[in-house]
Parts: sequence; structure tokens; C-alpha cells
Amino acid sequence: MERIYIKTIAVDLDDTLNNFTETLQNTTFIFDESYGLTKENFHKYIDKLQNNARDESELLSNEFSYFRYKIHEQCYKSAKAKPDGVEFMQWLKNNNWRVLICTYRDLRRASDCTKKWLKDNNIPYDYLFAVNNKIIFCKVWQVNTLIDNEFNILYGEEHGINVYYSIMDKHKEIQKTAAKGFHKFSEVKKWIQE
Amino acid sequence: MDPRITLLKKFYSTMQKDKIKLESNCYGFEFLNTLLSHDIKLEYGELTSSLIHKYKLVNIPEYRMDTLLQGHINKYYNVCLYFDEMANNIFCFNLDNNFKENNTALIPEMQYAVTKLTKHLTELGIEPLVIVSGRGYHVWCRLYEPIDNKQLHNFMLQMVAKTLEALHIKGYNYNRVKFNMYPNNEIINTVSLRFFGSEHVKNKIFSYVYVNSSVLGEEDSWKFFADYLKNKTISKEQFMQAADKLARYFK
Repeated sequence: MERIYIKTIAVDLDDTLNNFTETLQNTTFIFDESYGLTKENFHKYIDKLQNNARDESELLSNEFSYFRYKIHEQCYKSAKAKPDGVEFMQWLKNNNWRVLICTYRDLRRASDCTKKWLKDNNIPYDYLFAVNNKIIFCKVWQVNTLIDNEFNILYGEEHGINVYYSIMDKHKEIQKTAAKGFHKFSEVKKWIQE
Repeated sequence: MDPRITLLKKFYSTMQKDKIKLESNCYGFEFLNTLLSHDIKLEYGELTSSLIHKYKLVNIPEYRMDTLLQGHINKYYNVCLYFDEMANNIFCFNLDNNFKENNTALIPEMQYAVTKLTKHLTELGIEPLVIVSGRGYHVWCRLYEPIDNKQLHNFMLQMVAKTLEALHIKGYNYNRVKFNMYPNNEIINTVSLRFFGSEHVKNKIFSYVYVNSSVLGEEDSWKFFADYLKNKTISKEQFMQAADKLARYFK
């Protein structure tokens, strides 16, 4: 029988349901020749990644972009799920929400490890989407609730999307918007039922 | 059945038949439910930065594949397929403009690369089918029977090395052109390639055949494609001779 959904929600993965940045910054990555880099470049690139530096190259595919994915993939696998996030996702499913996982990850390469991580952590969802512009995505798919932590905090309101974000240090400087920051998913649970 | 479906199925006969990437301007749950009928599953969806929706669909029954191919030919969307995990009777060099910005522009390095690659293959007795793609060209070669993926990939690696060498000698920066080679066992279920016979979702440009430094019209491209399948497919022996000759170049 077809499931009847009451509402649809889009939920981000990295730094929302897991501790991606903390994992990236606190992991000691070991040099390995299989990366195809010199030791010097390996450490230079790790430093760049852990300090969230931009890729300045004008080229799409380069030594650094390839390496960045390899390191990110390790973090996708080892990042820890937030227990209250897992509980929240299970609550959504049990209450007939249609749940979209909406991530910046390159799912061409990362779909298998992402699905495994979600399964291993008992996180239910209906569909998995890789999306660059989540506000546009939510707008055209008529999803009016988005849990995310990136620039969508600033742009959700003008497009009619309710954005909720897990508060991190980087959000201290952020200008006041209609997006609501939370410390625990129980706060979101309350807001989306209002 | 549309004879073009038969043609496509014959040309791409060794590719995986129950799994596709569908590129479309359509979206929304109603559209998704239509795609996911008959037990088809969505592995993941994607909205690209150029606002194209992509859907990786698995568990596709054969009768649904015919319908999807008709939609491809009718230009409702694009169907992209995945290579067989073990052996294939086609292989493809995918040449892309590697710039982050303005990467559909035809850069001189690209023209030189596709000309050299075509020349090198032809000299070895393998006349390729060159098709215009979004950011460059797909250079296809076809055999009568499947060959182990590793053997195909080794051949392609050497062919790309020879083409990069030509770019370097000419004084071009070869990093400006991204060469991908398929099938590649490391990414066999990761990367799919668009079938001939449709148009790009974003720029609406048909997958024209490129031959003798010019682009054929749509009807002539279909004719060329049919003729290629009939007359330019090579035997395993021809491929092995070409591979031996190429290997000697690097000794």
C-alpha cells in the first residue's frame, strides 16, 4: 500500500547529522604512497583541508581536488552520528514524514559509503539527493523545511523555506535571519510541529 | 519498435541493462513516482549547479528500458549507461574541458587532442566514432566481441599517454583537457556515459557526430552511426594487433 506522507523535510548530513568538521580537523592522516603525492604535498594539502582553505586552481580536476575527495571519504566513513539526530530521524519516519537526505557530497563516488553509514547508524530516509543549491532544490520540489548548516541560513527566508541549523562556532558571526539555530534536535521537533 | 532503439541496443549491447542515469529537466515527487514504477529503485538523485536533475535508477526490467530509450530518442531526457563489470565490446575516451568556469567553450587544446587521438587510433586500424558532448567529445570504438576491461583500459591508457605527449610537444598545457577512459574497473558503477541520439539537457545541443573536422547534422549523424555499427566495428584480432603495435611505441 502506498504510504501517505503528512509533510516533507530535507536534512543535510555533514555537520548536521554527524561531526564531519571535527573528524576532519582532529584525525591524524598518515602519508601513504597510494595517494600518488610527494610527502611534502601530502602535508601541505592536509593542512589546507584542515584549515578549510579554498581550492584556488582554475581547473576542475587537479591533484588537490582528487586528494580532497579521498580524505573526505575517510571522514564520511569515520564521522560519528549525533545520537539526538538519529532519534529525530526515527521520529520523523514514525510520524509519516517524507525524509530527503540532501547533501553536498559527490554521490557518484560517495553513494555506497553514505548509504552504508546511514544504515549502520539506523538513520531512516526515503531518498538521497546530491544538491549544490539546496534552496532552489527545496523550492522546486516544494519542500519547505530544511535542516542544514551552510549559506542556506541566509537565503531560506526569501524563498519561503524554513531553515534550521545546528549551531557551530562559525555561526557566531552570522547576521540575524529567520533561520533558527539549535543545540538539540528536540528543539527542531518542537518547531516543526508548531 | 522505433528502429533507432534497435540500433542503440545493438551498439551498446554489452553495457549493463538494469541500471541507468537519467538526466532531465523534470522533477518533483509525481515525476519521481512515475520513474519508480515497476519496482525500479532510485539509488540517488542529483540537482547539478547547472540545474539539471539526474536520477540513478536501478533494478530496471527490460520492457521498461525500451520505453526509457524511446523517451531518450524523443529528447524528453537523456539515458546514460554503465559499462559491464567484466568485459565490453565498446570503449570510450571522454575528453572534457577541465576549466571550472566557462567549460563548454571549445579550447584549442581540445581540438588538437581530439584530432590527434582520432589520428593515432586510425593509424592503428581503429576508426573511432566521435560524438560531440557537453564539454568536449566522446570518442567511441567498437568490437564484434567483448574484451576484458583491464585489457581495454591498458590500451586506452597508452593511447591517452601518446595524445598527451602530442599536446606537450605542441606546447599546450595538457591539464586543460581532462581525459577519462571507460570502462575503468575502479569506477565501473560510478560513471555512466550518455547514449548517442539525444540532446544535452541544458544547452539542447544534439549529440552530433564529428568527422573530418566538421559536425554532421542530426539526420546524417544517425546515418553515420548506423553505418559505423555495420562497417567500422573491428574484430578482436584487429584490436590485439593495434594493442601490440601501440605497446611497441612505448618500449
